[in-house]
Amino acid sequence: MAVFVPTSLEELLTARAERPGLDLVAGGTDLVVEVNFGRHRLEDVASLSRVPELGGWRREGPAGPGGHLVLGSGLTYTEMLDPTLAELLPSLAQAARTVGSPQIRNAGTLGGNLGTASPAGDTLPVLAALEAEVLLGSAAGTRLVPLGEFVTGPKRTALAPDEVILAARVPVARGHQEFLKVGTRNAMVIAVCSVALVLDEQARQVRVGLGSVGPVPIRALEAERFAAEVVDWSTGRFSGGEADLRRFGELVGAAARPIDDHRSIASYRRRAVEVCARRALERTMSRQAA
Amino acid sequence: MTTPAAGREAGELHVVGKGLPKVDAAAKVTGAIAYADDIDLPGMLFCKLLRSQHPYARIVSIDTSAARAMPGVVAVITGDDLPVKYGIMPTCEDELALEHEKVRFVGDPVAAVAAVDEETALAACRAIEVGYEPLEAVESIEQALVSPDDEPIHGYAGPANVHRLAALEFGDVDAGFAEAAHVREDVFFFEGNTHLPMEQHSATAQAVGDKVTLWSSTQDPHYVHRALAKVLGLPMGSVRVVAAPHGGGFGGKCDPFSHEIAVCKLSLMTGRPVKCTLTREEVFYTHRGRHPVLMWVRTGVDRDGRILAMHFRSALDGGAYGSYGPASTLYTGALQTTTYAIPAYRFEGARVFTNKAPCGPKRGHGTPQPRFALEVHLDKLAADLGIDPVELRRRNYVRPFTRTVNWLRITSCGLGEVTDRVLEASGYEHRVKRPGHGMGFAVSSYMCGAGLPIYWNTMPHSECILNVGRGGVTLLSGATDIGQGSDTVLATIAAEELGLSPGDIRLVTGDTGLTPVDLGSYSSRVTFMAGNAAREAAARMRELLVRAVAEEKGCAPDEVAVADGRIGLIAFEEAAALAEARFGALSTRGSYTPPQGIGGRYKGAGVGPSPAYSYSAAVVDLDADGRSGEIRVNKVWLGHDIGRSINELAVRGQVEGGVYMGLGEVLMEAQAYRDGLLRQPSMLDYKSLTFLDMPEVETILVETLDPEGPYGAKEVGQGPLLPVIPAVVSAVHEALGVWVDEVPVTPDKVVRALDARAKGKEPRYGPKSFPQIPYPPLVKVAPPDAATAAL
Ligand SMILES: Cc1cc2nc3c(=O)[nH]c(=O)nc-3n(C[C@H](O)[C@H](O)[C@H](O)COP(=O)(O)OP(=O)(O)OC[C@H]3O[C@@H](n4cnc5c(N)ncnc54)[C@H](O)[C@@H]3O)c2cc1C
Repeated sequence: MAVFVPTSLEELLTARAERPGLDLVAGGTDLVVEVNFGRHRLEDVASLSRVPELGGWRREGPAGPGGHLVLGSGLTYTEMLDPTLAELLPSLAQAARTVGSPQIRNAGTLGGNLGTASPAGDTLPVLAALEAEVLLGSAAGTRLVPLGEFVTGPKRTALAPDEVILAARVPVARGHQEFLKVGTRNAMVIAVCSVALVLDEQARQVRVGLGSVGPVPIRALEAERFAAEVVDWSTGRFSGGEADLRRFGELVGAAARPIDDHRSIASYRRRAVEVCARRALERTMSRQAA
Repeated sequence: MTTPAAGREAGELHVVGKGLPKVDAAAKVTGAIAYADDIDLPGMLFCKLLRSQHPYARIVSIDTSAARAMPGVVAVITGDDLPVKYGIMPTCEDELALEHEKVRFVGDPVAAVAAVDEETALAACRAIEVGYEPLEAVESIEQALVSPDDEPIHGYAGPANVHRLAALEFGDVDAGFAEAAHVREDVFFFEGNTHLPMEQHSATAQAVGDKVTLWSSTQDPHYVHRALAKVLGLPMGSVRVVAAPHGGGFGGKCDPFSHEIAVCKLSLMTGRPVKCTLTREEVFYTHRGRHPVLMWVRTGVDRDGRILAMHFRSALDGGAYGSYGPASTLYTGALQTTTYAIPAYRFEGARVFTNKAPCGPKRGHGTPQPRFALEVHLDKLAADLGIDPVELRRRNYVRPFTRTVNWLRITSCGLGEVTDRVLEASGYEHRVKRPGHGMGFAVSSYMCGAGLPIYWNTMPHSECILNVGRGGVTLLSGATDIGQGSDTVLATIAAEELGLSPGDIRLVTGDTGLTPVDLGSYSSRVTFMAGNAAREAAARMRELLVRAVAEEKGCAPDEVAVADGRIGLIAFEEAAALAEARFGALSTRGSYTPPQGIGGRYKGAGVGPSPAYSYSAAVVDLDADGRSGEIRVNKVWLGHDIGRSINELAVRGQVEGGVYMGLGEVLMEAQAYRDGLLRQPSMLDYKSLTFLDMPEVETILVETLDPEGPYGAKEVGQGPLLPVIPAVVSAVHEALGVWVDEVPVTPDKVVRALDARAKGKEPRYGPKSFPQIPYPPLVKVAPPDAATAAL
């Protein structure tokens, strides 16, 4: 087993081109678990941690609506909690706060969450609600793939054997954001279900991403259309009543496609996702829009 | 055996009762302690076990040739090399270190490899070819009660896959029910869960000639010693077992295990030291944890809520082997009577074999499940009668110094006082009820050591030797500190008697080659039993020292004070020199055997008797979400009758640890199976509380000065866990108006109970019925007469 430690993107992409399928390790918090459980055998492996182009985040285009945030695949959960970024992407910060433990948040990365593409990956419903695209690169060039096309199934992605995830590209949206997660405890917990809610005041859209209630992150489109009608767009807050919250919850629940597994049962997942969704919408009333 | 010191006022004690740091605290927090897996001997080999991936299968062939041929592999053994059966209970020695006829659960060991490193050993295990013929796995209690198409899991016991049945009646239960103004029946289920110690099991053996020494992370080196001698076919004198410094047991390291036997055998074969450390996943499969128990209880009361008769049934899912099963089964019926005066009591219990990791003892052994059922059942009874649930309990509380209907001797009992104190501290009686918020109350009791040993013998349960010489003070005891603080307790007791500090006492413990016997760290027995033995040895030493000083000074022995490092006015070391000059080598002994007559004489009477019982009461305050079913515990008040704290800091630590474990069990922990496979054999997915989930705990200690405990001390290692579980269930009911009669109380169950209520059904989630079990005819035992019942 050879270990590569490329120090530039070019070096990484060349190595990947020469050995398609070369294992990539970022924080290792998913990969090493797979190896330890004997579900994955490491062949040659490249570490991504010394590739400067994959780290950090930057703005692209205008600062407000119309612009983008480019989040490097090497961005850790701890970095997502950085106040400047957290203000721009509060739902991502809320999601990051619920991930694992301090150790996992220091090591685990956005690229790793995307690379694993677990139905329970906590950034995925957020990226879905943000309408993010995934920037992939290979020695041959780069391509942008919408999140919904990047994640093709549970733990399956559109990543080609010679490609590397470079970044997630997120349109800047003005408006309230929420992330809620239900798990069996308050830390070190994989989601039983999660809900990301993003208000885009410019587009007058409410977007809802659901995690852990289907093979891939789900957008609750019907619920989104309904919610857009019960938000007062002059304030960016929910302005309906109890019946609207209930309806919204039901529509979100209807969009979920949960299963029974070792962490929970389908019927509870549907219930929990409904409760989280209504709570998220309700919270737009009490908090200042971002 | 009332000893004068038991009545000593706290003011007369110098180190007992003080919250001094544990004697091993500094070494532990600085990493200086070498745990079992830190042992590294020259030339050491590493062992891995090949385990079954089938829940139930016949072994048709084992081919180890490829493994043996691998470079770095030194020895490979299979069941043929270790054909002697063993088991912790003499009545069910049904285990082989390595199975060679059939495997009975996923994880059952079939071969062991010793190699130059772990990776090679693991690769060699993979190279062993085992031919299996799968059999139909038994996955539930219900299935185990039906005769299998294939053969039963074991060739003994039965019918079907029943391991053990018990049926006892004390007093006239039918008459009690006939007289009752109200009778209520309930069914409960307690899912199994596991110990989750921080430290995985690890064992290292070193053979020299035909003698072998084993260092192991074990709770009872003595029982491991016996099993090793038996399986290896060696005299007891050729086997030495040393309990390594321990990273947590909770009952999970009480059985003799395959890896312990395998490393000894491999070391004897190779002449090299051999180590085996289990992976975390293997620890989950090794298990021996809390039994899943289905329970049915029926109680008849008079108009005032006084219990007239109780009938309790349990069915335990034992997993694949016997382990402590017969005891576990009886424990589900034994201690109901130690908190409540039940004049007529019937218990029917059953344990079945299934193709799952074997269950055994876990903190509270066999009693948290019935305690949950009993306390929740009493809450429901109280509601039926319109009586306050605390008041209903008080009307039925046992009295101190009485004998229960099943012949258990109750001595000191602070049940009323712990009740008063937690109610007062928590403000339970003045709470303002509001939806989504609840408080719950429950009580319990636990033994201070099992009254009988696991194998029948009349020797002491704990022995100590105390040596004083030019090298200082050394206490030798077979007791094993598994983190509970027994070293601290023993050092504190010896120090108290000798006028020293705990740190002055050198301890040699848990070494069957060097120390006199102690049966082990289980059943909360060490403080009471080894503590009494240590106290006796130290008191005898004190007497020698005092005599020497008195003779030297020409004064009466009772004029010689022992305190602050002095015997009389002489420094301890000088007094020791005087005594050694007069009496020769200074060595004293202490032994403890539980008194006779603390239990009954019927078959099954061996489980339940204890020289004393601790008492606990809990109040839990929580919020529960009526939509998502999520539960947030805000605070737990735990009152505990400790008799007397030998070390108050350690006692509080045990209470908090017990509350922590109880909350984990009631809120989330489950050693559960899905499609025949263990659902969560990892610490990420097997959920226990994190820092963020753990509420504040207010510990209230009540000292009842037990007449037989050392300085009046009783247990704290297990009891405080027990009332937490039903108190949470009760508080959830108060918050949401639904009963969850199944532990753990996870949000999905709460939601299903809420949904049932919304549909106009019984506002409850839980088992609907109790299966038909072929219990044997009742053994009818006459209760103690009035004169015997009042001690
Ligand atoms: C104790 C624990 C708790 C956890 N808790 C959570 C949680 O609460 N929520 C959650 O969502 N997850 C959780 N996880 C899972 C894990 O931490 C996250 O999925 C994390 O984002 C993975 O990132 P990583 O950098 O460690 O990935 P790695 O393990 O390094 O990689 C994961 C996969 O992605 C691939 N990969 C990584 N980077 C790239 C890249 N740039 N291009 C292409 N492929 C790439 C790797 O080859 C590998 O297949 C937890 C894990 C553990 C061990």
